[in-house]
Amino acid sequence: MHPPTRFALANADGEEMHFPPDGPVLLALVKEDCDTCNLTLPLLEAVHRATEDGLDVWVAVQKRDDIAVLKDRHDLTMPLLDDDALDLSYETDIDTVPTLFLYDEEQNCTLQTFGFDKHEWREIAGESMTLAGRSGGDTAIDWEALPEQRPGCGARNYEPGVYERLQALKSGDLLSRLVDLAASDDIHEFMYEQGYTDGFPVVPPTRERVWKMLQGTPRDPQDEVAVMPPNLAPITVEKIAINAVMAGAKPEYLPSIITLVEIACTESFNIHGVLATTMGATPVGVFNGPIRDRIGMNYLHNALGSGNRANASIGRALRLCARNVGGSVPGGTDRATQGGPHRLTMNFAEHEDASPWESLAVERGFEPTDDVATLMAMSGGPATVADERSRDGRGLAGTLALSMSCMQDPKSPMVDTLVVLSPDHAGIFGRSGWSKDDVRECIMEETAIPLKDRLRSADAGCGLPPDIVERFGGEAALDMPVSKFRDKSNIILVVAGSPAAKFSTILGGWAGGAYSLPTSGKIGV
Amino acid sequence: MVTQILDPTDERVPIKRSLTPRPEALHGTIALLDISKPRGDVFLDRLEELLHERAPGVETRRFMKPTVAKPAPQPIKDEILEECDFVIEALAD
Repeated sequence: MHPPTRFALANADGEEMHFPPDGPVLLALVKEDCDTCNLTLPLLEAVHRATEDGLDVWVAVQKRDDIAVLKDRHDLTMPLLDDDALDLSYETDIDTVPTLFLYDEEQNCTLQTFGFDKHEWREIAGESMTLAGRSGGDTAIDWEALPEQRPGCGARNYEPGVYERLQALKSGDLLSRLVDLAASDDIHEFMYEQGYTDGFPVVPPTRERVWKMLQGTPRDPQDEVAVMPPNLAPITVEKIAINAVMAGAKPEYLPSIITLVEIACTESFNIHGVLATTMGATPVGVFNGPIRDRIGMNYLHNALGSGNRANASIGRALRLCARNVGGSVPGGTDRATQGGPHRLTMNFAEHEDASPWESLAVERGFEPTDDVATLMAMSGGPATVADERSRDGRGLAGTLALSMSCMQDPKSPMVDTLVVLSPDHAGIFGRSGWSKDDVRECIMEETAIPLKDRLRSADAGCGLPPDIVERFGGEAALDMPVSKFRDKSNIILVVAGSPAAKFSTILGGWAGGAYSLPTSGKIGV
Repeated sequence: MVTQILDPTDERVPIKRSLTPRPEALHGTIALLDISKPRGDVFLDRLEELLHERAPGVETRRFMKPTVAKPAPQPIKDEILEECDFVIEALAD
């Protein structure tokens, strides 16, 4: 609450009145639908009449239409000011009505109160008389008939919806260009026409919504988070918040979305290539740490699919940032030949409690208590691996290996591959005492085939170029076993999904490997 | 009713760029840029052959991006700009 020093508001006749007037003044802020305001307005009128021209009493009313109502109801003659726009209420930052400020002839605020406290009001009334040169004079207020205390009411400027609107309009936090809509525009059709969407409707990013979204982080809205490819445009917290609103995210998801943007724009992740490749790769996000439950992410039923707001909107927000700020548009710099539904959003949390192993984040050097997002560029899958018969690690790893051996094509070696084990499958490995590396090594062995079977042939143009044999030592190497994967670290194992089903999922990485590496980041505030 | 929204884009005003004036004839050095996609070399080999056949006196120089996945490194772009008069880029497969 800050006593105002200067403002101008219109009175009931529409004449602008400038504060402060000459001499002492008692300023009150009220609203009509408040019993305490209605209790105290006659007291303010009594002070106004008793102090005559020795002191001004000004009353700012929080709704224009209520001025006439209050004037008639209480037979008021003091100036009633129109604060319908809540400019004064916002600047003063009052949260309760009535609020009173008493200023002396030097315009110093000497007393203030809110609600009704008989002792304080009596003091203000007495001091008003003194400032008016009528020390000890009678205000004609029957103090004995008044209650000791009455709480005030919530000020209109703090009502839900109103508060956000005022902050969005007046805080100066938002610097993005305002796009005006004509009265005849349908907002949804307009946003499609502007190319702002991924093909689904988006939430209109009004100033109020964006301001509310920004409350999800203490970061300055104008902080530059990254330079977003392919247009190499600087992306600020505010721009991320706008796209997060459009994606349907909640403010508490914003730090995660900021982290995804940061990771995506690293040299290591190379989102430029991921979104531009004709192979149709897409960033897939895996979340670890307490944030999964804090923001209600799904790692149970349909974890990789639809139905959870956090999973869906966090990934979608990253894609909208890449589209709207980065300029990645299909047919433009997004050259995906066919793409896939996971290019809309693909984001889930690891079911850490159902995993017999340390989480992906801990494996990558973080603490279990850290909130971590890991992005991987995936172009293949999600493909289901069904194995309801294996009862030990060996059998299940064999099934995974067979399924993974034909990713992309059966001949080509593969790079990073994400294996999302269901809790039941993960449990089999756990009960068999298999470590993550045991699983990986078994898959490496089981997917190994003679080099000659990985070479291109007239029957199938896929695979390795025939002259690669020279690199392995010539003809003698033709029978050498070559695994599907260059290295066991290319096999990334996480756990997600609901219990009581023996189905897992594999997602094939973007061919080439070093083009884009799995990249993790700690989620900040 | 929504009357105003915040611009979700990078707010860059599109800049219209006109093409460099087309020369009357080929002359000097032509850069042939392979972006490291499969068979880009096959395409550029044939193109180089045809250029030498049909535009005698024109020199060709071969360049190659280290990876298809990232934009050409600045030094390659600088070299082409400084030492060549034309560039032909072999895009995609």
